[in-house]
Amino acid sequence: METIRVLIAKPGLDGHDRGALVIAQALRDQGMEVIYTGLRQSPEQIVASAIQEDVDCIGLSCLSGAHNELFPEVVRLLQEQGADDMLVIGGGVIPAEDIPYLESQGIARVFTPGTPTKDIADFIRFALKERKGEQQVAPPKKIAHIGIAVKSIEEALPFYQQQLGLPLEGIETVESEQVRVAFLKAGETRLELLESLSPDGPIAKYIANKGEGIHHLALEVEDIEDRLKQLKENGVQLIHEQPKEGAHAAQIAFLHPKATGGVLLELCQYAQETEGD
Amino acid sequence: MSKEEEFQKLYEEWRRKTEELIAKFPERKEEFLTSSGIPVELLYLPDQLDQDYVERLGFPGQYPFTRGIHPTMYRARQWTMRQYAGFGSAEETNKRFHYLLQQGQTGLSVAFDLPTQIGYDSDDPMARGEVGKVGVAIDSLEDMETLLAGIPLDKVSTSMTINAPASILLAMYIAVAEKQGVPSQKLSGTIQNDILKEYIARGTYIFPPQPSMRLITDIFAYCAEHVPKWNTISISGYHIREAGATAVQELAFMMANAISYVEAALEAGLDIDQFAPRLAFFFNAHNHFFEEIAKFRAGRRIWAKLMKERFGAKKEKSWQLRFHTQTGGSTLTAQQPDNNIVRVTIQALSAVLGGTQSLHTNSRDEALALPTEESARIALRTQQIIAYESGVGDTVDPLGGSYYVEALTDKIEEEVYRYLEKIEQLGGAVKAIEQGYVQREIHKAAYEAQQRVESGEDIIVGLNKFQIDDEPQPEILRVDPKLGEKQKEKLNRLRANRNAAKVEQTLTRLREGARGTENLMPLILDAVRAYATIGEICNVLRQEFGEYQG
Repeated sequence: METIRVLIAKPGLDGHDRGALVIAQALRDQGMEVIYTGLRQSPEQIVASAIQEDVDCIGLSCLSGAHNELFPEVVRLLQEQGADDMLVIGGGVIPAEDIPYLESQGIARVFTPGTPTKDIADFIRFALKERKGEQQVAPPKKIAHIGIAVKSIEEALPFYQQQLGLPLEGIETVESEQVRVAFLKAGETRLELLESLSPDGPIAKYIANKGEGIHHLALEVEDIEDRLKQLKENGVQLIHEQPKEGAHAAQIAFLHPKATGGVLLELCQYAQETEGD
Repeated sequence: MSKEEEFQKLYEEWRRKTEELIAKFPERKEEFLTSSGIPVELLYLPDQLDQDYVERLGFPGQYPFTRGIHPTMYRARQWTMRQYAGFGSAEETNKRFHYLLQQGQTGLSVAFDLPTQIGYDSDDPMARGEVGKVGVAIDSLEDMETLLAGIPLDKVSTSMTINAPASILLAMYIAVAEKQGVPSQKLSGTIQNDILKEYIARGTYIFPPQPSMRLITDIFAYCAEHVPKWNTISISGYHIREAGATAVQELAFMMANAISYVEAALEAGLDIDQFAPRLAFFFNAHNHFFEEIAKFRAGRRIWAKLMKERFGAKKEKSWQLRFHTQTGGSTLTAQQPDNNIVRVTIQALSAVLGGTQSLHTNSRDEALALPTEESARIALRTQQIIAYESGVGDTVDPLGGSYYVEALTDKIEEEVYRYLEKIEQLGGAVKAIEQGYVQREIHKAAYEAQQRVESGEDIIVGLNKFQIDDEPQPEILRVDPKLGEKQKEKLNRLRANRNAAKVEQTLTRLREGARGTENLMPLILDAVRAYATIGEICNVLRQEFGEYQG
């Protein structure tokens, strides 16, 4: 991919550029080319520099309260000069109540103090791809299975088989995870009952902490190694950085619940199509 | 006489002088007691005084002033509670001043808007969106008269955060006092007037370093004669710290700048003991409690040694580092803003334990906007609680002798000297700034600090740990968006009504003065009295001196 070019600018008279400089450095560390305008730039000067430098994104920083007048003016001038494909983001001491107004004026996103610099870099990459109409990431194929932690497969199975009528596909032991699993087919997906083989196994611990219940969601993907690499590069917290052998001879890896909104997510890739095997 | 007896004698002498002082200026109470009724002594000392103690710490009010610049410190008088305030129009800010004075504040501190600080009139295109935003808009003497209406300038001391156009604002202050019938000899206050830190940290410069230094030494010389109680500069570590410097860098770079001002004044032919007692300092206070306390103590010792040993100042007053402290604006979080009250309390306490002469406590909502009246009051109350309820001011330098604090004080002193040597090698602060050395050091520290926060190595409560979802947004202060227009109208009326010929004449005189070497203060004062605007005066100087390109 081409290197993203960013102009970091300080519109207005405010001379506090610590934030602007830190972000400029952070974006450089993220592999972007960054130009910093220096202090006291008028919207006209900023737009002229942005066009001249042919940047992809303009980051505006203002701490003096002049943002409502100066930020939209930059967007207006970009439109006037036919350069409105540039992404404009803003930051600084900006009250939450001003953000909807700024966004309505064409500022793509406003980052307030305390935002991790990496989030800003991620946003720029994402938004630029989106603008170009590029597909961000291919969606997973489907939900491969839903993992349910149970104390005993034998005790749990009759409900799923007899009351719900789900066909049992088989029971197998996964030594590496210290579990025994039972797969029940439910339409195009499956339920996976997990029973711990030992009192210190991960499933036993899970039940001790949270009781029986949904343990994880597994998504089937095309190329698990590639996915993990991408996620890692994007700073997503992983439990497994390399795929490992799971049940059904699948390649599996878990993502950390911190990255997923509290859900333990498993990625899995099967050796062959799972439909109709 | 044995060494021991000699030290004992030094102490007895200090004790006697202090008692004389107390007889003249009594302490706040006859007797200071803890809540259990235990008497609190003025000063606590080691059982055995030795060479090391006498040289490194000494007694409060005595060289090298590690333990404070007054023998009685807050036992006699609390520090000045000086809240920085100003926004919108002169009328609004005047109202806030009266409110703060009524609430028990003891000094004023004026925040000016950015156009004023950079020498633009409110109708200048450069002022777009900025009028009245981070401070009050002052275009001419007329606005200054409104700002200070009903405030007795012989009784209140006023600090003005103004740097590049400091001489103009000081001239306006003097002119308002004249109208109130207060002679300039009676005025007390401080102008920040520290241009070097503008180039490295705050960005509100106008002119290049050389003419800026001349304006500063002109103020030193003028005030020594005409406004003797005025602090003619407040050498600021504050903004250096806010730009990302560490505590050591804050102290080191402010000291390096201070050395430059002293050298410039000496080169201008001023007598050290005449201007040095009017130099004041402005520190930041961040969260690392003991390091902050140690920083203040080390700062006093370094300054005393510099002035006495390096510059050969004779007067005790010249050796004393007197300082204002503001709690750290950049340490405040927009997340869970009420937590900022606690941060400010810790920081304010470090300033008091470090022996500050005056203090500004930040308001909880400053990571969001200018403080509301309620937030400003809580901030002031925070100081008042420390002053009147905590008892920390009942003994002088309560942490003196703490193994930890003394070791930190020594270490900070040592590291500051290392920076000062490096800056000397580069040719002094002005050269180091021109080469970008100081700026690079600060930016490096700022970036490293950000990385420590992002990696979670440094914890900031509510920001990278202990967050809450769905935070309610607090009420914030909003400046009238029409203010810019109103201020423009006011300015047009002024220009129509004043004596245009007189304005022209004073500006021409100023231009001639700028080309030569005479002191510019009297010329600026005449222009101000004729109601020349800040933009008009600065434009003359811009044309003569040029503008600094950052």
